[in-house]
Amino acid sequence: MVADITLKSISKKFKNNTALANINLTVRDKEFFVIFGPAGAGKTTLLNVIAGLYLPEYGNLYLNGVYFNYVEPEDRNIAMVFEDYALYPHFTVFENIASPLKSPKYKESKAVIEKEVTRVARILKIDHLLERNISELSNGQRQRVGLGRALVRTPNVFLMDEPITHLDAKLRHQMRAELKEMQKNLDTTTIYVTHDYLEALSLGDEIAILNEGKIEQIGTPDDIYFYPHNEFVASSFGEPEINFFDALVTDDKQLSIFEEAKIQDIPDIVKNKLDTSARSIRVGIRPKDIKYSFVKENDYSVECSVYSFEPLGAKAVLTVEKNGNQIRLVVPSILQMDMDQHVYIELDINKAMFFGPEKINLFSKFLKDAKGEVIWQS
Amino acid sequence: MKKKMIAILQNIALLLYAFYAIFPLVWLLILSFKHDSDMFNTTFIFTPTLENYRALFSDGEYIGYFLDNIIVSFGAIALSIVVGVPAAYALARFDFKGRDGIAFTFLSFRFAPEILVVLPLFLLYQELGLYDTYVGLIWVFQVLSLPLLIWILRGYFEDIPVEVENAARLDGYSWWQVFIKIVMPLIRPGLVASALLSLIFVWNNFTFSLLLAGQDVTTTTVAMLQYVASDTVHYGQMAGAVLIASLPIIILALSIQKHLVRGLSMGSVKG
Repeated sequence: MVADITLKSISKKFKNNTALANINLTVRDKEFFVIFGPAGAGKTTLLNVIAGLYLPEYGNLYLNGVYFNYVEPEDRNIAMVFEDYALYPHFTVFENIASPLKSPKYKESKAVIEKEVTRVARILKIDHLLERNISELSNGQRQRVGLGRALVRTPNVFLMDEPITHLDAKLRHQMRAELKEMQKNLDTTTIYVTHDYLEALSLGDEIAILNEGKIEQIGTPDDIYFYPHNEFVASSFGEPEINFFDALVTDDKQLSIFEEAKIQDIPDIVKNKLDTSARSIRVGIRPKDIKYSFVKENDYSVECSVYSFEPLGAKAVLTVEKNGNQIRLVVPSILQMDMDQHVYIELDINKAMFFGPEKINLFSKFLKDAKGEVIWQS
Repeated sequence: MKKKMIAILQNIALLLYAFYAIFPLVWLLILSFKHDSDMFNTTFIFTPTLENYRALFSDGEYIGYFLDNIIVSFGAIALSIVVGVPAAYALARFDFKGRDGIAFTFLSFRFAPEILVVLPLFLLYQELGLYDTYVGLIWVFQVLSLPLLIWILRGYFEDIPVEVENAARLDGYSWWQVFIKIVMPLIRPGLVASALLSLIFVWNNFTFSLLLAGQDVTTTTVAMLQYVASDTVHYGQMAGAVLIASLPIIILALSIQKHLVRGLSMGSVKG
């Protein structure tokens, strides 16, 4: 079964609030497509539009090139996992999972239902709960019942709305791996909504970043992580968050960060592409690309004072301060750091990203042909 | 020891209250088995007789009143359910202009005392030919039962997450099938409770039954008046009539007691 989904200029409003504004995207057959965004970005609304639960005010939906704005949800052959489970409270676990196979649309014989439900329940490790009532389940178990109800049939598309957010960390990790495996085996197009960047990066074949109803970027996990289109995308991926600084480009095309003149040479590739008229620039650099030392090692070292030190097991997040900028970096947690202690940091400018005043990545337009060439981002 | 004393005192208090509450019913029961001559003795010593019941059923008239009452009451409740369930669903689910205004209007049907509206209704009914008909009484009775039904069921519908309905749609059920298979079972406790409560209101209604009907359609409440004659009051027959008239409600209430308590005390979907 081929299932390509195309959304063209989809817009959706609730009263005067724009939930989705001009969404264009294509989900290719058998792809694991992740929609990523913060709370309130419109992710669930987008899923509901695809499921047929909301009618968009504007724009067209195509399934395999066929216009299907007005196809009823029950006729779309789409299976959805809801964030709040949306289980039938008056049914048992078995009846919940069996529900699609008993419906007039996807009716199966009793024997098939029995077999399929047991199979799915075994995968999700809820086979011992089949006779229970929904009220007797924990949240994690409910979420798996919700997953089971979707997985029990073979739809055109799976829609998953944060299906593993309510699981505890260990189970979530395990389910993440299993979902990936399952999708490979099922070979079915999946659209997956999440606000967890790790889920997005590990599961997605392609990721769309949604913010305030608009798409910020669509790309592979590598694209998103290494070549973010703008500061929003850059800051959404990575923990601790990427650091941004205001910087000035000097006359001889050197970079002045933290109001210290001529901090560093800009890589040639940047220099060549840099618009000479642009004087101020925003530099983004991930915490892992900043080195620290207790002594001044070279001219590029910047003296900072320790602002906070959070040990997180083997690693720790060190926040230092320099002229009002707070800079996060990752250090081994065995270090002893005191507040206001002086340390030196060195930015690996070859791995930095450069953003214009509008917070747009200055070089993202070159990225497609510059892959590999763009050494500072690899 | 102290606890035991408290428990005993509590039980005594409850017994006293139970006696206080049930006494009128017991008195009624006793009256219905008394001769008119024994009616006013207060010693509880009398010769039981079935004379009153024989008089009640001898001409079959009382059975007719009873059936009339069943037809108009159950008719009104059936109509309220057919109209009220979709109305409550719409008020709970759809966000349309004037939603709260409409809901309030339904409730306001119960604001005016019956006696205030019965005269204009009487005149209207005379003109429309609804006076003393089943349709007329059913029509006016559903005004009593509909608001209660709508307001209780609206809360039930609001308690069902819309995602549950959406999930069922995606499972392959059409809107109607979702409504019958998923939504209706979830509001059942509320439906049972509100239907029974409205039935009690309607069943015991006196004002409308008296003034908007009387000859062709006579409910038991109005029929009681017949036992008040100009020269004497047949308390025994009246007591029997009252007892029989309350039986259906008592039986219904006892048989669905479980739903009644649950239906009024909590929403349907928890967790």
